Amino acid sequence: MGTRNLEYLIPVYVAYGALSVALTIWLARTLFKNGAVFLEEVFADTPKMADAVNHLLVVGFYLLNLGYAALLLKANGSGNAIEAIEVLAWKLGALLLSLGGMHFFNLYLFYRIRRRALLGRMPVPVAPQAQFSWPAR
Amino acid sequence: METLTVLYDADCALCVRCREWMLGQPAYVMLEFLPAATAEARRRYGVLPRLGEELIVAADDGRVWRGGRAFIVCLWALVAWREWSATLADGPFAPLAERFFVALSSNRRFLARWFHHRDCPDGTCRRPAPEGPYR
Repeated sequence: MGTRNLEYLIPVYVAYGALSVALTIWLARTLFKNGAVFLEEVFADTPKMADAVNHLLVVGFYLLNLGYAALLLKANGSGNAIEAIEVLAWKLGALLLSLGGMHFFNLYLFYRIRRRALLGRMPVPVAPQAQFSWPAR
Repeated sequence: METLTVLYDADCALCVRCREWMLGQPAYVMLEFLPAATAEARRRYGVLPRLGEELIVAADDGRVWRGGRAFIVCLWALVAWREWSATLADGPFAPLAERFFVALSSNRRFLARWFHHRDCPDGTCRRPAPEGPYR
């Protein structure tokens, strides 16, 4: 590796760090607030369970995203303001795409959880043709 | 409802094979398989018309389904197929599904010949049931 031009690297890192943490927090809170609606329906009789599942999902979301954001931090150098902006934009773009992917994955999880619960209590979809008044044993 | 009793034709190789397939599937309710030709079936469900001719499914709360609807109730009982039961009961293909199940049921002896089993060369046989009626 040649000499790295580090002049603008510190501001890039600072901006990237602040923005990535802010974005992750904003997204996690969105997920937490709106995911609660799904989970309340699924765990209607056990609200504590809904809170627990929601909390655990959000913790996983934080871990994955902040971990990935930290791995993306390193840049090879940026010698001037233009390069600094380009490096920052590239990193933020990659981060946003991964956040988007994670977000849709989380939505899919909510959908799966809800569908399982709804199927579990689905009534028989066809009407019976006869009805015994006594249990036929 | 906790138990579904499936009154099937134990002399039909295809039906026996379907029973074994259902026994291998995770289910939401208890499934009891009772051959329609047995004295036990006649004692409990003898009042039902067409017992033994068509597939009949009876719930422990007294509800009874027959023919195409009985197939849908069987799917409803299985974890992997419950979603399909709703689709086949209400969706645009519901009439087709009904006709398919009725055709399957009434041609079961003929179809069974295609599903050869060494114990039943002509599609008519009685294979030993697995231990116990319950899954």
